Amino acid sequence: MTESVKKARDIITGYSGRPLRIMEVCGTHTHEIFRIGLRKLLPESIDLISGPGCPVCVTAVGFIDEACWLALEKGCLICTFGDLIRVPGTEMSLAGARAKGADIRPVYSPLDAVEIAKENPDRQVVFLAVGFETTTPSACLAAEQAKAAGLKNFSLLTANKTMPNAYNALVGSADAFLYPGHVNAITGNSACIKLCEEKGVSGVVAGFTASELITAMAVTVRLLEKGEPFFRNCYTRVVKDEGNKSAMELMERVMEPCDSEWRGLGLIPMSGMKLRAEYADYDARLKYAMPEIKGRPNPACRCGDVLQGKCKPSDCKVFGKGCTPLHPVGACMVSDEGACAAYYQYSEIE
Amino acid sequence: MCVGLSARVVNVKDGTAVIDASGAKREVSAGILEDLEPGDFVMVHAGVAIAKITQDEAEEADELMEDLL
Ligand code: SF4
Repeated sequence: MTESVKKARDIITGYSGRPLRIMEVCGTHTHEIFRIGLRKLLPESIDLISGPGCPVCVTAVGFIDEACWLALEKGCLICTFGDLIRVPGTEMSLAGARAKGADIRPVYSPLDAVEIAKENPDRQVVFLAVGFETTTPSACLAAEQAKAAGLKNFSLLTANKTMPNAYNALVGSADAFLYPGHVNAITGNSACIKLCEEKGVSGVVAGFTASELITAMAVTVRLLEKGEPFFRNCYTRVVKDEGNKSAMELMERVMEPCDSEWRGLGLIPMSGMKLRAEYADYDARLKYAMPEIKGRPNPACRCGDVLQGKCKPSDCKVFGKGCTPLHPVGACMVSDEGACAAYYQYSEIE
Repeated sequence: MCVGLSARVVNVKDGTAVIDASGAKREVSAGILEDLEPGDFVMVHAGVAIAKITQDEAEEADELMEDLL
C-alpha cells in the first residue's frame, strides 16, 4: 500500500463527525467496494448506500416482456448482455423463453450482434440495448455499422438511459454521490458541476480499483467535514472535464432523448435514449409494430426502494430466502453489479 | 455487463484497435477515440475503447492526497 493510500485509509477509519450517507451510484462501485472490503473499514457513522447505477437493475419489467415477445411471437434471434438473461419479466425471463425454444445469445458487445446478423442472413437479429452513457455509444456504433452495411435483418430494442436526470431524482437521498467514473468519461463533468453549483449537491468522480475507491472516499469524507458543497474529479487519469466529444456526437447523430421507465424510480422524463427517425428501420418496436406491453413487477420485490437507497437489500423479506442469485425474484439479485447480489455474495447470511 | 477493462493498444487500423489486456488480445472499436497509437492505454467497455488512460494510479492518489492535506 502506498503512503497516500495509507493516509486515505486513516482519514476514513478516523472519522468521528456527524453521521454521513454516501451513495455509490454505480453498480460496479457497489461490487468493488464489497470485494475490496471497504465497507468493513468504515466507522459506524458512515453509511454507504447503493444507487440506481446498474443498467440491468433499472431495466423495467416490461422491457423483458417485450424481448420475450420478439423472441417467441416473432421468432427473432435475441442477442443480449448475458446479465439480462435471468432478469425476471412478468411471466418469464429470457432464460424461460429459451426453455420454450427461443434463440437467446449472450454477446460481449453490440458489435458482435451485428456480426451474428451478417453470419445469419436468414434470421432476424435483435440486440437488447440497455445501459448508460458508457454503453450507449457501442449500441450507436452497431446501428451505424448495420446501416452502412445495408443490413435488413438487424434491429435494436432500446432501453438506454442517461444519468443526469436520475441524479435530479435522487437529490436529497445522500450527503454525497460517488459518481460513476466511466459515465463521466463519456459525458464529462458538467452535469455534476452544475448540480453542485445550482443545487448544492456534493459528489466525487471515482475510479474502480482499491486505491482509487479508498482515495475517493477519503476525499469525500474530508470535504463533507468542511461542510461546503463540492465536486471533485478523483479519476482524472480517465475522466476529462470535457468527456469524450466523439462519443457524444455519435450518440447525438444516432439517438435522441425520450422519457424512460426506471425500475423503482418510475418514469423519468427525458432520461432515456431512442433511435432517431433516420434509424427507424433499426428500431425493433417500429419494425415489428410492437403493441404496448406493460410489465408487472413481483410485489414482494423491494428493488425500487433498494435502488433509491431507501432500504438495504437485507431489509427485503425474501432476501436470501425466496430470492437468491440462483433464483432471483428481482433484477437487483441477478447482475453481479446489483446491490442485492453484492450483499448476498459478500455478507454473511445466517 | 458494465465492467470496464483497461488494456494496452497493440495496433490500430481502420477504426479497429487490437488491445492486450493482461495477455489476452482482442479487437475493439476505436471509432470514438481519435489519435490512438500503439502503446496507449485505454479503458474498454462493451467492445469499444471509450477513453485514454493518461496517468498512473499511484501518481493520481498522491496528487489527490497532497491536495487534501
Ligand atoms: S432481495 Fe430480491 S426480491 Fe428483495 S429487493 Fe432484492 S432483488 Fe428484489
